[in-house]
Amino acid sequence: MRSRLAIVPLLVAVASAAGCTRTTEGIEVDIAYETPATPQAVRSDADTRIWLDRALIAMGPVQLVECDNFARVLGRFFTASRAKAHAPETPTQLGTPFVLDLLESTGFSFVVGTIRPPPGRYCGVRVVGTPADADAVGLKNNSEMLNSSVLLAGEAEDTNTLARTPFRVQIRATVVRELRFEDPLVLDRPTTVNVSVRIDHMRWFDGIDFALFADAEGAAVQQMLRSNIEASMATESL
Amino acid sequence: MVALVSGANAASACGTCGVGDPTLTIVGLEQPKEHRFRSSATIRHRNDQIGDPRVDQLQLAEQRLELGAAYSPTDRLTISAMMPVVHRFVTAVNLAETDIWAPGDFELRLRGIVYRDRAFAPRHLLSLIGGLEFPTSSIEVDANGVPLPLEFQSGTGSWDPIAGVSYALFSDPWSLYVSSVTTFPTTGTADTKAGISSRQTAIGQYQPWTFLAFQLGAEFRWDGPGFIQGVRDPNTGGHITYGTIGMVAMPHERVLLTFTAAVPLIQRLDGAHRESVGIIGGLIYEI
Repeated sequence: MRSRLAIVPLLVAVASAAGCTRTTEGIEVDIAYETPATPQAVRSDADTRIWLDRALIAMGPVQLVECDNFARVLGRFFTASRAKAHAPETPTQLGTPFVLDLLESTGFSFVVGTIRPPPGRYCGVRVVGTPADADAVGLKNNSEMLNSSVLLAGEAEDTNTLARTPFRVQIRATVVRELRFEDPLVLDRPTTVNVSVRIDHMRWFDGIDFALFADAEGAAVQQMLRSNIEASMATESL
Repeated sequence: MVALVSGANAASACGTCGVGDPTLTIVGLEQPKEHRFRSSATIRHRNDQIGDPRVDQLQLAEQRLELGAAYSPTDRLTISAMMPVVHRFVTAVNLAETDIWAPGDFELRLRGIVYRDRAFAPRHLLSLIGGLEFPTSSIEVDANGVPLPLEFQSGTGSWDPIAGVSYALFSDPWSLYVSSVTTFPTTGTADTKAGISSRQTAIGQYQPWTFLAFQLGAEFRWDGPGFIQGVRDPNTGGHITYGTIGMVAMPHERVLLTFTAAVPLIQRLDGAHRESVGIIGGLIYEI
């Protein structure tokens, strides 16, 4: 009988011996922000020299958009009035917001996360700058960004008179940009792709009439800057 | 297989001969006979889908090898032990694949006959079932260290009491088996807690020949909600009804081969959770 009952510890031993895990990564899209190294002063297209003291932007959701849904998705999701700092993480979207200090940028990429989408053809990304909430990454060192999407402060220098006009602009609205890839990303097998979103803040002051900065909270300044910020974004995939 | 390494030379007679009833029975359904000892190896295959397609769906293909043994110290009591080895292949929406070999939860059961119409070759058997699952399974986690959905684990990883009742009717060449067994999971080793799971089974068997029987049945399973680290797993809970069809063959007086297909007929599982056809094959060796 004892020899028969030996089967019980034998069962446990045999089964316990089994135990191994092998994981194969699937489709992964690494998302990075790329900002040019910031010079001491930025020159606008109106020949104004801008001395920046603060240049911050809070970036929120980044969404990879399928070609078939490009127009529909862009029209439906994340309209400016609905965008939130914290969006749900999905297989096609990064949701964690963070604050980018553009004055600290050195021209290198800043990887913000990895999207793990299902197979498909993807034609672009949608990036959203949203007012930073209390949980935004990087807010700790830039607390004045709370509830703001963009903060710019510095002086605008007239290159003819060398007169300097201080300014401070805080944008609380959402900045939205849809960016198409040069060629669609065809993701039909496990692979890793790098997508970078370039934000060229050297172009943010193009066409700006600094006389309007006397009313920095005014709609005209805010709208011009938002348009420039949106236009300064571009993307490429590797 | 298991029997071969556990001292098969102790056998003295075929199982069905010894109990005075020719019905071919799988482990757990048999008529106890003093010192009857059976071993078994069962392979189960199933596919599951949990989550929304193209959003968070995980697809599971699982093969489970259950090594078991059942011993009756008296003609009213059967002690059975079962140890699963589980192979799972999980595919995520981004085609990431996880291939896992892991032990399941060791299970110990007692079945005591509380009523029989006669001692030898009884036609009616009413039994009470009690048991315990041991937390021998490993809990698999995702890239963030969060346990995978409970349905994708090889076991609950917890001490789970089992209680149930069964009734068997033997009327050669027909037989009927009805049971209701409920598992009561506790909190597991990785702070997971599977929901209470209750299975109601009814199997009718027709045995036209001594060596071959056919089965037709139904299984209703009700699951309570499960929790992972205190958070409700949305794709747990609900109920499902399977229709089962199977056969039992006796190629040798000590050997039974079984095959069963379980087809989901009614699925009312909570969340986004679909189960598909299950295939079960087994070998029983009467020691």
